[in-house]
Amino acid sequence: MRNDATWRAGVDSGGTFTDVCLFDEATGRTVVWKVSSTPSDPSEAIAGGVAEGMAQARPDNASPASAIRYFGHGTTVATNALITHRGARVGLITSEGFRDLLEIGRQKRPSLYDMFADKPLTLVPRRLRLEVAERLRHDGTVETPLDEEGVRRAAATLRDAGVGAVAICFLYSFVDPAHERRARAIVEEELSEAFICASHEIAPEFREFERLSTVVVNAYLGPVMERYIRRLAPRLEALGMSVAPHLTQSNGGIVSFDTAARAPVRAVLSGPSTGVVAAEAIGRQAGYADLITFDMGGTSTDVALLQGGQPKLASEAVVHGYPIKAPMLDIHTVGAGGGSIAHIDSGGLLKVGPQSAGADPGPVCYGRGATEPAVTDANIVLGTLNPTHLLDGRMEVRRDLAEAAIAALGERLGLGVMETAQGVISVVTANMARAIRVISVQRGHDPRRYALMAFGGAGPLHAARLAQELDIKSVVIPRNPGILCAMGLLLTDLRADFAATRLLPAVAASAEVAEAALAPVVAEAETWFEREGVAPEARRMTRTVDMRYRGQNYELAVAAPPGPVTAESVAALAEGFEAAHLRRYGFVAEGEEIDFVTFRVEALGLVRKAALPERPPGPADPASARIGTRRVWFPETGGFADTSVFARERLAPGMTLVGPAIVEQMDTTTVAPPGARLHVDAINNLIMELA
Amino acid sequence: MTAAAPPEKPELDPITVEVIGAALLSIVDETGEALVRASYSTNVKERRDCSTALFDREGRTLCQAEHIPIHLGSFIGIVPKILELHRIEDMAPGDVFIGNDAYMGGGTHLPDIVLAEPIFVDGALVAWTVNLAHHADFADRGHAHIYQEGLRIPPIRLYRAGELQKDVQDLVLLNCQVPRERLSDLRAQMAANRVGVGRFSDLCARYGAGVVLAAGDALLDYAERKMRTAIAALPDGVFHFEDVFDGPEFETALPLSVKVEIRGDEMRIDFNAPPQQRAGANMTWTALAATTYYIVKSVVDPSVPPNAGLARPIAVNAPKGSFLNCAHPAAVNGRVQTCQRVADLVLGALAQAAPERVTACTNSACCVATFSGERAADRALWVYLETFGGGGGARPIKDGLDGVHVHVTNTSNLPVEALELEYPLTVTRYELVDGSAGAGRFRGGMGLRRVIRAEEDCLVRVDVSRTRSRSWGLLGGGRGGPGALELGPGVAPFRQDRGELKAGQWFALVTPGGGGYGPLEDRGEAEKAADAQDGVTFAP
Repeated sequence: MRNDATWRAGVDSGGTFTDVCLFDEATGRTVVWKVSSTPSDPSEAIAGGVAEGMAQARPDNASPASAIRYFGHGTTVATNALITHRGARVGLITSEGFRDLLEIGRQKRPSLYDMFADKPLTLVPRRLRLEVAERLRHDGTVETPLDEEGVRRAAATLRDAGVGAVAICFLYSFVDPAHERRARAIVEEELSEAFICASHEIAPEFREFERLSTVVVNAYLGPVMERYIRRLAPRLEALGMSVAPHLTQSNGGIVSFDTAARAPVRAVLSGPSTGVVAAEAIGRQAGYADLITFDMGGTSTDVALLQGGQPKLASEAVVHGYPIKAPMLDIHTVGAGGGSIAHIDSGGLLKVGPQSAGADPGPVCYGRGATEPAVTDANIVLGTLNPTHLLDGRMEVRRDLAEAAIAALGERLGLGVMETAQGVISVVTANMARAIRVISVQRGHDPRRYALMAFGGAGPLHAARLAQELDIKSVVIPRNPGILCAMGLLLTDLRADFAATRLLPAVAASAEVAEAALAPVVAEAETWFEREGVAPEARRMTRTVDMRYRGQNYELAVAAPPGPVTAESVAALAEGFEAAHLRRYGFVAEGEEIDFVTFRVEALGLVRKAALPERPPGPADPASARIGTRRVWFPETGGFADTSVFARERLAPGMTLVGPAIVEQMDTTTVAPPGARLHVDAINNLIMELA
Repeated sequence: MTAAAPPEKPELDPITVEVIGAALLSIVDETGEALVRASYSTNVKERRDCSTALFDREGRTLCQAEHIPIHLGSFIGIVPKILELHRIEDMAPGDVFIGNDAYMGGGTHLPDIVLAEPIFVDGALVAWTVNLAHHADFADRGHAHIYQEGLRIPPIRLYRAGELQKDVQDLVLLNCQVPRERLSDLRAQMAANRVGVGRFSDLCARYGAGVVLAAGDALLDYAERKMRTAIAALPDGVFHFEDVFDGPEFETALPLSVKVEIRGDEMRIDFNAPPQQRAGANMTWTALAATTYYIVKSVVDPSVPPNAGLARPIAVNAPKGSFLNCAHPAAVNGRVQTCQRVADLVLGALAQAAPERVTACTNSACCVATFSGERAADRALWVYLETFGGGGGARPIKDGLDGVHVHVTNTSNLPVEALELEYPLTVTRYELVDGSAGAGRFRGGMGLRRVIRAEEDCLVRVDVSRTRSRSWGLLGGGRGGPGALELGPGVAPFRQDRGELKAGQWFALVTPGGGGYGPLEDRGEAEKAADAQDGVTFAP
């Protein structure tokens, strides 16, 4: 690496835009660049965006991108392939008697009442699901040895069928992977070109259908991710970049491209996870450890929860209909955004979404022919959004059209136009509050103890109302809410998760065995540190144990005390488990035995991160940032109130605003309702305190 | 104590109603999650055979989580029964009622144990949080009458003002074969109720109890309006349909029939059936009502919220003391088979009114196998219950779903890797059944076949249907394949619904396929090619 390589690059490649965020460690300077995405080959916009952004940063340099010393990247390529069903042609080799399991799943129908609903597309058609004789018992003993010739015949069949990937999944491979390993070796001999993966490598945990689904999704995405990385890497090299690029995974951790290509199923939430990672870093610097993130865009809203500065992880989730066992941030998505359409249903209640106006025709106020009002139209009518122009004046809007559409809706509800507009906001807020209750109260966390961090194009607009609905007192709005995901890539450490399942009673006598189970996981993390080139002083490990009462099926994660597992730490773990169980379910099952289930290590490689420059507070008076007033309708005032409008780029640390107030910036608008107080902190976050 | 008067209910705007409706949905989802996660039994923790709901003071369903439709039957029965047997003035915060009886407790069969807890705000009873778990117990019983089927529990207090009535609990547990599982599942049910009480109280603190209750009333009215609008969209008329019910308990199939009368925005549904039987497949009134509400809602408007309001435009009748509306002391354990047939019966009648809104006949069963035995190692009793999906009915625009639960149930299967860890059983095959799909332009869904080998001696009881009758196709579509029991070498023929497996012997349950929709000649070329490649064949 060259000595003058002082820039860090974060690139968030989304469906519409590719955001580039550049940070110079030497000077603390930040450059933000946005280009249109190139969906047919996303690497084009990524390389183009980085080149253009660096040219802005270093206009006089012939090879500006050569100054990049770190490249982090979040992508939706895996998610999109899964949603649009443009993955590889996959063949499956599985235990005799179980080829239909992929289709049967858990035998539940997709919708309780809608007889026309369908299951997600089965990623491997029946003709490509082949069985071979083999069977283990639950304790790992071999009942039927692997039919190696059968595996070879199956591989040949799949080769002739022209598959691009092969998934291998046998019963109990999480107990003993020998059959899967051997089958994999045979398939490699027969299909040297294909992407091959076995379930024990991807998700060595019990419950055969979920493991099968995970390894099949992995195979389905494998060739897609390989192709993507194969295109991107040379483009970046061509820019003169000499560093190994990194990619975010669904757990918010960042790994090398090589690691990412091996387990693409771990990247299905790569996109939204970077926003959570950014929130984590900004929250840390701003002094908010307990946060709920609220990322509201045009069609959907992603929410997640961070406790003690740590985002919550789920070990399993259903992503676009497919169960996936992989560590991922516990991000919940709801179909509510600025484009969500308001309508009255057959029972006469006002509903908002999940249908969205999309970008075209967009909301009614865009004047492109839409007649059904969207959430954006309600904001235009209320005046919370600028009623004449959006995007820093670049886009004209038609308040008259929006008002007519809302008025028509109100007539059918028997409400006035302003009450109806506010009603649309209330209903969409209730939908988003439901999403937040899923990740907070349903998981045993009281949202009132958390601050809300709002970002995305529509987050800051709705944050105050959402906070009020949930009795949240503080809202944090980062300086650049629209490019937070790209920013997050510059603020995060390298991170990977490792685990081993070992069912053991949580008693003193188990200490030695527990230590023996945990030690290899720690060793695995050490190997990863080596591979990623993390210096010893930059290595951090967090060890947790998933525990449950014997017989339960769902575990609670308990932090392990430092040092090797001893009788004392076993006692501490058991105590920690009972406390967690009491908090979550309201009871401790006296006298019931407790089991250790899964030993986990989170490995953190500290990297030099972009630190947002802190500035000392200046005068509290925001007069210099005020750019005008407009009439905004608030339910608190029961009518229009003259409301000061401020320009975000003119707000400086120390300034204090009192609601009602509006803060405008290119990528979003922040609303402070009457009674709210806003101040600008040292890193230019807007902090809103609600009464 | 003397309960305070319930709060006044103000007039509400439609937006407040929608906002509070979303909050109520959150509460039942959350109580359901708490129940599943804290439970121990495979039937609840893995198969999710449980439900949660909120009721208003009068015992009307405010909101039911999207779990198992037949559980609504027990729900609509229990709170009115509690109110019949106990005075509100005597109730206190922390009282929890337990009940399961089909005649004294409003239940639909004894394994479904309900815990209902009144919610108080400012001293007034304002609502109920209620949940149900199917306790996989009371196995290896007779089904000539309900006294053979298990412990009958009328609604009585399991907790009084927050204090466990240990004598009641001891009585219940002593009558169960796997008491440790029962106790832990009851604890999980308590955990769920605690969540329900807490969240509902929070909601009342935020909006005022009067507003929340008024929103509850408005939500019932809303469901009624939606239901009426949807029924009004169907053509008026009188539609008849008949089918038979067959099962291992019966030598000859029982004839069942329905008359559906649609007039304006109301629907009247009259069933006819033979007298109640000395068998487990009788249906109580609450089971019949819950099943009928489920199927009408699914056909006319699946988006109607599942609350008591949706029942208002629907009148349901069946002769008292008949197979579909049984009276004490009829046995009811296997009522789910009959529920499935009733749902398809209504579907057949509505097909004449709105063929574009219905499916062909589903597999019309909810095949159940209950294994029980004594562990060789410690002589502990074990009970494993599994329900098996089958074919969905073909749809007017696409094939039916393969191997799914239909109509009044939607439980998960038990993963093989969980099953074999907990019970001395081995699953050797689990597959879709070739030749089970009803032929048609759109084919019916395929049935399932699960082959289970015993590792230790055990008893098996099966609850199945459609082994002798067949699921009907629509508009020229073919019939679905029948269900069957397959016995491995050496297994003695089952006596009616029960048999015995010695260690090493196997038996398989084959579930019926769904009926087809439209004539097979009209099936598309691409679909035919895919059928050939994937080895999909039709029922003869």
